[in-house]
Amino acid sequence: MATREITYLEAVREAMSQEMRQNEDVFILGEDIGVYGGAFGVTRGMIEEFGPERVRNTPISEAAIAGAAIGAALTGMRPILELQFSDFITIAMDQMVNQAAKTRYMFGGKGKVPMVLRTPAGSGTGAAAQHSQSLEAWMAHIPGLKVVQPSTAYDVKGLLKAAMDDDNPVIFYEHKLLYKTSAEVPEEPYSIEIGKADIKREGTDVTVVATAIMVHKALEAAAQLEKEGISVEVIDPRTIVPLDKETIIDSVKKTGRLIVVHEAVRRGGIGGEIASMVAESEAFDYLDAPIKRLGGKEVPIPYNPNLEKAAIPQVPDILAAVRETVKYK
Amino acid sequence: MAKEIFMPKLSSTMEVGTLLQWLKEEGESVEIGEPLFEIMTDKINIEVEAYDAGILLKKYVEVDDQVPVNQIIGYIGVADETIPDVSPGISGTEEVGMKHQAVSAETSSLVEVSADNNQQTEKPRATPAARKLARVNQLTLTAIKGSGPNGRVHRKDVIAVLEGATTSPKATPLARKLAAGEQIDLAAVTGSGINGKITKMDVVASTPKKETIPVPATRKKMSGMRKVIAERMAHSAYTAPHVTLTTDVDMTKVKELRASLLPIVEKQTDLRLSYTEVLIKASAAALSRHPEVNVSIEGDEILQHEHIHIGLAVAVPGGLMVPVVKDVLRKGLAELTQAAKEIGQRARENKLLPEQLKGSTFTISNLGMYAIDAFTPIINQPESAILGVGRILDKPVAINGALEIRPMMTLSLSFDHRAIDGAPAAAFLTELKQILENPFELLV
Repeated sequence: MATREITYLEAVREAMSQEMRQNEDVFILGEDIGVYGGAFGVTRGMIEEFGPERVRNTPISEAAIAGAAIGAALTGMRPILELQFSDFITIAMDQMVNQAAKTRYMFGGKGKVPMVLRTPAGSGTGAAAQHSQSLEAWMAHIPGLKVVQPSTAYDVKGLLKAAMDDDNPVIFYEHKLLYKTSAEVPEEPYSIEIGKADIKREGTDVTVVATAIMVHKALEAAAQLEKEGISVEVIDPRTIVPLDKETIIDSVKKTGRLIVVHEAVRRGGIGGEIASMVAESEAFDYLDAPIKRLGGKEVPIPYNPNLEKAAIPQVPDILAAVRETVKYK
Repeated sequence: MAKEIFMPKLSSTMEVGTLLQWLKEEGESVEIGEPLFEIMTDKINIEVEAYDAGILLKKYVEVDDQVPVNQIIGYIGVADETIPDVSPGISGTEEVGMKHQAVSAETSSLVEVSADNNQQTEKPRATPAARKLARVNQLTLTAIKGSGPNGRVHRKDVIAVLEGATTSPKATPLARKLAAGEQIDLAAVTGSGINGKITKMDVVASTPKKETIPVPATRKKMSGMRKVIAERMAHSAYTAPHVTLTTDVDMTKVKELRASLLPIVEKQTDLRLSYTEVLIKASAAALSRHPEVNVSIEGDEILQHEHIHIGLAVAVPGGLMVPVVKDVLRKGLAELTQAAKEIGQRARENKLLPEQLKGSTFTISNLGMYAIDAFTPIINQPESAILGVGRILDKPVAINGALEIRPMMTLSLSFDHRAIDGAPAAAFLTELKQILENPFELLV
């Protein structure tokens, strides 16, 4: 399969375009996704190829966008909706939580909601408190929703294909700072199974489970720690619902130590779920250090760029956590 | 389920016991029948053995604590068992709840004071991996030194213990045997053989030269018995004004008496009659004639005893005990021989029964087997007098204007001048001297 290096943003666009070329039922809707190309330019150029019927600008109402997408999905379409910022998911939440997530169950499997909600998440762009949050744990709490957080251009193309093919609603988080990262990505469409973690780096001393942008920070930390003789295994769950428990448990059984890193606020974050899952699992007997969670501070993301950085885990935080965890190895 | 350790009730009158020492530490393993702790009652001090095997999980009381009988003072069980932080009170009664409150009220200040110490006695801190490894290898976590924060045991600590236990240094069989004989730790010996193997020469080189070892000063906590002796001797010496009278006794006739009774007693009892039994018998006869010496001070009263029970001071390893021969007046020399030999034996084997240690009204301390003539014995309270017996030694004495060699013995009588005055004490000792110089008088 021919590959070339493209950005994460291009990979998202390519996945959608390739799918729309071969499946008439797929369309996109969102605010300013037409000529403007969306808040981050992901859909730029798509309206020219697919026309305003399939790349639909909507009024500024996330509830309406979500509701329209769910309705379209129920009647046989396969909509992709884009929210400009994942913070606005709160407005779409009633539709997603009470309609999209429940319909298939409440109708005994006779109705289905094959839709993808794509939305940029995370801080680092100076967009302040209302445009920088990571709220994936909220959605992960709702049975009936799948939650995906790709961290690389390769993963995002394959996972978006899998999300579009899925007959269930998928919340698809794209980290804003990842849009400009690039990787070797196959030209042809391909699918990455939802619910399959990826071991981004193999190691023996400590397992670091990191999501989204934190995967890259964990890898940077791991490279530095290697020079200190500490071997770090970095696992990217890629999808937090469903969670690939087996890969994480097997890794912890190997290393005996676990650190979970995410950008979302630590309190109530998905890290607590992963830590608890491991503590309850057969990996418990292999733990040789307390499990650590690194997450965002319990503050709204500040506008000041220095404070904005300080509010979420950075490479030095991961370095310190790993050193402390393996100190008594 | 952890087993209770409680303060035993050793006599019908015992209400509290004082803990003298624990013979095991928390975390140490205990076998059934192993001495666990030592207590002192109003009568005796005794080592209490473990009823259950396991690990000593908890000690609720400290040395010198006075503990009511049947109160739970600790637990034996398996590692990691949960047990109460404070003693749950009296063992095996319905009133545990009630007593518990009383006890915890008494001990609450103690608990606060020792809060810091408790940290060491808590459940061992260990990671799950370390726990599993220890469990699989049947190691006790408390016995493993943790390298982590707050002494947390990590997997590597357990591995270190396991490796230490299974791999001993390389050594030749001869070197091993030598080292075992000389009690040398092979780990401390540098091997000069192939791959650092320890040879005979290495062991010989590291064998300490015995002559050059200076004997260091040692410091030992007074054990239970030592402590009891110390307290009782000091108390007697400081409360009772001691006066000691001495007199020389011609033992010629006692020697004859003993020689003629020896085969008879031996035939009856298989035991050899000794001077001690004659002294017991003679003292009892003298006491019956001088009951004012057979007394005790109780508060502000002087109690003149109804019976004559004579205590015998017996040297035992690490101290001294005073078992009692009861109702001496009613016993013949054969019976006395049997009684005295039995209690002496039991004392040396530390098998005296509590009732064999109580009730004496007068004590005899015999140092006749040493080159001692006279001494000043300390009264065994609550008695008021004690007889010290010296050796029998042939000495020149003037008999009817002529010099004769006679077997002479010195008696030393210490008495408590609060209860007994010099004249009656002297009369008693004179009486005793006369009985011994004419032992046939005992038949009267």
